[in-house]
Amino acid sequence: MGMALRVRGLRAAVGSVKILNGIDLDVPFGEMHALMGPNGSGKSTLCHVLCGHPDFNAEGEAWVDGQEILGLEADERARVGLVQAFQSPVAVPGVDLVEVMREAAEERGIDPEEADQRIAAASRRFDMDPFLERSINDDLSGGEKKRSEIFQISVLSPKAALLDETDSGLDIDMVRKVAAAVDEMRGPGMGVLMITHHSRILNYVKPDRVHVMMGGKIVTSGGPDLAQELEKEGYEGLRKRLGIEVSPAAGTARPSSDFFTDLPFEV
Amino acid sequence: MLNLNSDTLERLNAAVPAWLASRRRDALREYSRLDMPNPKEENWKYVTLGFDLDHLTIPATPGDSLPDGDFLTALSDRAGSAVMVDGSFIGVENHSQAWLGSAAEAWETNPPSDLLNADTDKFAAAALAFSSGGVSLRIPRNRAVETPFVIDVQSTLANTVTFPSLDIRAEENSEATVVVLFRSPDGVANVVVPNLQATVEDGARLSVTTVGLMGTEGVTIMHHRSRIGRDATFRAGEIGLGGRFARIDLRTTLEGAGGSVEVVGLYFGEMEQVLDYRLVVNHVGRSTSSDVFLKGAVEDQAQSVFTGLLRIEEDAVGTSAFETNRNLVLSEGAKANSVPNLEILCNDIICGHGSSVGPLETEPMYYLMSRGLSRERAERVLVRGFFEEAIDRLPLDDLDEPARQAVNRRFAEAQEGGRV
Repeated sequence: MGMALRVRGLRAAVGSVKILNGIDLDVPFGEMHALMGPNGSGKSTLCHVLCGHPDFNAEGEAWVDGQEILGLEADERARVGLVQAFQSPVAVPGVDLVEVMREAAEERGIDPEEADQRIAAASRRFDMDPFLERSINDDLSGGEKKRSEIFQISVLSPKAALLDETDSGLDIDMVRKVAAAVDEMRGPGMGVLMITHHSRILNYVKPDRVHVMMGGKIVTSGGPDLAQELEKEGYEGLRKRLGIEVSPAAGTARPSSDFFTDLPFEV
Repeated sequence: MLNLNSDTLERLNAAVPAWLASRRRDALREYSRLDMPNPKEENWKYVTLGFDLDHLTIPATPGDSLPDGDFLTALSDRAGSAVMVDGSFIGVENHSQAWLGSAAEAWETNPPSDLLNADTDKFAAAALAFSSGGVSLRIPRNRAVETPFVIDVQSTLANTVTFPSLDIRAEENSEATVVVLFRSPDGVANVVVPNLQATVEDGARLSVTTVGLMGTEGVTIMHHRSRIGRDATFRAGEIGLGGRFARIDLRTTLEGAGGSVEVVGLYFGEMEQVLDYRLVVNHVGRSTSSDVFLKGAVEDQAQSVFTGLLRIEEDAVGTSAFETNRNLVLSEGAKANSVPNLEILCNDIICGHGSSVGPLETEPMYYLMSRGLSRERAERVLVRGFFEEAIDRLPLDDLDEPARQAVNRRFAEAQEGGRV
């Protein structure tokens, strides 16, 4: 089976602050990988760099289903098949959720009727009917935003899905629903990279691999047990056990995991 | 064709009552005294007119009527309609119990409203001196008219100026909705100087939405005056799309206690258009409220001006006054000026204003593109969304769809033309 997402030597910076220091990662089709790491380790940045956020200068290589993406615009990357569920999606007043989904389908040449069917099916699953004709991400609770993001992933069914802390802020029932959806989506046509702080969601959906990121690098990878070990020893324990030196630049530059909330624009 | 002088005035005066003729002569004196406005005057800052009223003439006979456009078609269900062409009252249709007809006929029995002062500027003086006709609408007390009245003001002849008088009165506890359209064909240079006056008596509810649809060389210089009585509600809607230069000088006075006014709408300036909004909301009565909410966009070389003054007088205790003006600047050569102002002479009030000028924001753009929308499509969606909030607040739902389509089409054309 091919690679949904392959990353080699990925480095990225905002201005002179280096945030990613050489990421190598493979997520095969049909698999779900968890990416864990302490606050400020660069997890969200990895998502945004892969998705083509204009604020980052990226070097290295990344492929989605064998297609190089780093030279592409954000929208081209999405149409190649890389879509992110945002951790803190921006509100766009006046633009309805369903409108964005329809426009996204039209851009991909999907028949409008088929698009509406997909939207309806995903909406039923994530109880999104009350939100479809409301401004996207506007006036939603944190949990509702996460639901909206996973709903969009479900509609857009990308080849590689990046879920950036989609499980945080959700009640336990919704965590289960998200876990079940991820489990179901991870078919032969999709690979999933799930960024999470907590191993809670991993009780409901078992990752094929777990990667741990510190200081803008993946410092260790392993099977599902790695998440349980982390739960016990914490990142600090892991760091000591593996003798990892964390580059201070990334850690001190952005102490918060909500990296984007530190930027001078609203997210 | 008639020049703007005393001969023309006397000719027009032959048809009106003596008291009105005398009022007009006073206005002519102001007209002769005043210079053409220039950008050094505070109320004309940012704009240069590039023509002189003295070089224009008043048409003696009207030209051919224009075909209906999208907006008129959307207004199919009406209480009544009146049409003016080149300053002449052409016809009326009225299915309601309100009085709708020519201003000249109305003046025989009732004096016109006097909310506009001749010394405001040269255009106001000219409007009061040379108006050869107009439309008068009076909603009788305690009557509610559900469907809208439509007043279609057309300017078809080149190098002319016309001064339509639009006099609307909602008597006590009445209710009505009015739409006024200003239209001219593309490529025909002319000037329309409407004198719109709305009197909203105690307990009445009135909305008047103006729709600027002048062609590429059309100029609109409108004075828009209103007086709002006790517990009365006035909503002024605006859809500003047309003309080389379009100006609304709006002053509304909340006289009675408990009155409220909303000025809501949108504008979109394309190519070399200049759209010029000068708004004054004057709170006089106690416990009055106002909300100004205008959203606009400019592309290519277009310019917009918004100056909004909330004036709260000494006795206007319990006033609530808000003012918002948001602008999208879609091209490097386009410019939006936004100047909200407060003049507060009373303490016990709630007041706020917000203003913004800028391009489409990058984060929403990135978000939509991350869903696979091309940059062009994402821009269209964002522009559409930007205006949606203003469209939602228009006083009459019938106008939503044509307004939406007009701004969307305008932006799509700017994209196709490579101007944004």
